[in-house]
Amino acid sequence: MASKGSELNLQDLQYYTDLTPAPRVDKATLNKMVWRSCNLQICFNYERMQAIGWLWAMLPGLKAVHKNKEDLAMSMAQNLDFINTHPFIVTFVMGLVLSMEQNKMDIQTIRAVRISTAAPLGGIGDALFWFTLIPIIAGMTCGMAMSENMMGPILYFILAFGIEMILRYVLMYWSYNIGLDAVRMMTANAKEFTRAASILGVFIVGALTANYGGGTTTGMVFANGEKPVILQDYLNQILPCLLPLLLTLLMYFLLKKGWTPIKCIVLLLVIGIVAGAFGILGSGYKPFVPVPWATSVEML
Amino acid sequence: MQVILLAIVTFLFAIDQYSLTEIIYRPICACPIIGAILGDVNTGLVLGGTYELMMIGSMPVGGAQPANVVIGEVVAMVFAVKTGMEVEQALGAAIIFSVFGTYVVTIVFTIASSFNSWCDETCSKGETSGVSKAILTDVVLLGGLFAVIAILAYFAGETIQPAMEALSQKAAWFMSGLGVAGGMMRFVGFGVLLKIMLSNDMWGYFLSGFAMALIVGNIEALSAATLVIVAFIGIGVALSNYFTSVNIKEAAANAGLGDFSDGI
Repeated sequence: MASKGSELNLQDLQYYTDLTPAPRVDKATLNKMVWRSCNLQICFNYERMQAIGWLWAMLPGLKAVHKNKEDLAMSMAQNLDFINTHPFIVTFVMGLVLSMEQNKMDIQTIRAVRISTAAPLGGIGDALFWFTLIPIIAGMTCGMAMSENMMGPILYFILAFGIEMILRYVLMYWSYNIGLDAVRMMTANAKEFTRAASILGVFIVGALTANYGGGTTTGMVFANGEKPVILQDYLNQILPCLLPLLLTLLMYFLLKKGWTPIKCIVLLLVIGIVAGAFGILGSGYKPFVPVPWATSVEML
Repeated sequence: MQVILLAIVTFLFAIDQYSLTEIIYRPICACPIIGAILGDVNTGLVLGGTYELMMIGSMPVGGAQPANVVIGEVVAMVFAVKTGMEVEQALGAAIIFSVFGTYVVTIVFTIASSFNSWCDETCSKGETSGVSKAILTDVVLLGGLFAVIAILAYFAGETIQPAMEALSQKAAWFMSGLGVAGGMMRFVGFGVLLKIMLSNDMWGYFLSGFAMALIVGNIEALSAATLVIVAFIGIGVALSNYFTSVNIKEAAANAGLGDFSDGI
């Protein structure tokens, strides 16, 4: 049963070798994960966003749950996928994923549940924290600071950081416990559940492509007397977010053909800079090479 | 001495703006600290309070990058305390620096994309050394670059402002290209996820998710909650698929049982 394969492509593996559910993770480990979750964005990057910080925060739990070294390696590999969620409520996803890892569910299911919980929570967190809580706290304390009262910043810090940490703790324990309950239900029809979870995951990645990809547009504008020709407007008539969709598909096919992610990154970097030099993508700047079009209507 | 302390706190704020507490770097907390270093806490309090109020409405939301706050507050404080500018003036003069701060962030986030492969490599052996290496390098890179800008602002102050403006105009195409490339890198992340999750009969779900996000995202009243709404729809689709397959499985099992008993 135990396959000795450090050479295997870990992403192709679907099941952990040791399928015995691990005992409940102790409080000390969960608390450690809560504190580590503060550094979710420590190595934020454009390719996988919070992946490295996420793995780092999950490590104490993963190590407690996977005693088998091969399983730990598989688990770490899958926890390095793209993830983007709100840094203050990430512990909700962490607790859920940990409970599934503990029960050694199919890797595919864990992955799908993680991506489809993380993405929507990002929006909720922004609305909750940056649009509601911070403006209220700032409204209360900025006046104090501006009248040279030291209590302003102190109160601001205590309130904002306090609420942030309470959220982290409560969400971690809550989701870990509901996760354990939910896992029992999921395992009854494991195969069907994995498929349904993957469907949700793929659905969400489709949504992310449109939702996060919208920044990739062309600013190309051709002079045409009164009515300049704005290329992006025409593209939008074919399909809004056409470029993000095509690029995602291109990356998918290249990866499928065996390209490594790093090779894809270099390709995109080259495309981006060449496009900048010729004024093809992005808008509102003067291209390096003189070209017969402008990068925004104002630049004509 | 002052400048060393300033570089150190800038380093810390640069990290704090994405990690640690994510609160200390906010102008209202950071400016008094910088003020204490430069010897004028009161200016720090006033500038911090003013800046914090300005910031409401330009939050680090959904991966958007407003002009960088950390550089903005450090440079504005240096100007306000050292050259005796008014608070509003100092904030205005700091803008070009905070634009450079945003450039630095773009560059770091782009470079950091290549750190993922270090992690991939060691993680497939079940070791974490790649993760520590990536985190450490990233911290030094991000904090270090910010500290350098702080030192530059401290010594050169307003004198380099015209030079910076000229540079930012000349380099606009390059920074825009880098920004576009940075924005495209998430497609690699999506591609990896699709490669793993997408079996050939699931293309329809991918396209439906894409279309759903387009529809909801373009309705003004709903756009802020796009992903939540789309996730609800996705859950509906997935659950219906789940129950249908479970029912088919059970029906098949029952039918199988029925045939068997008939046979006897």
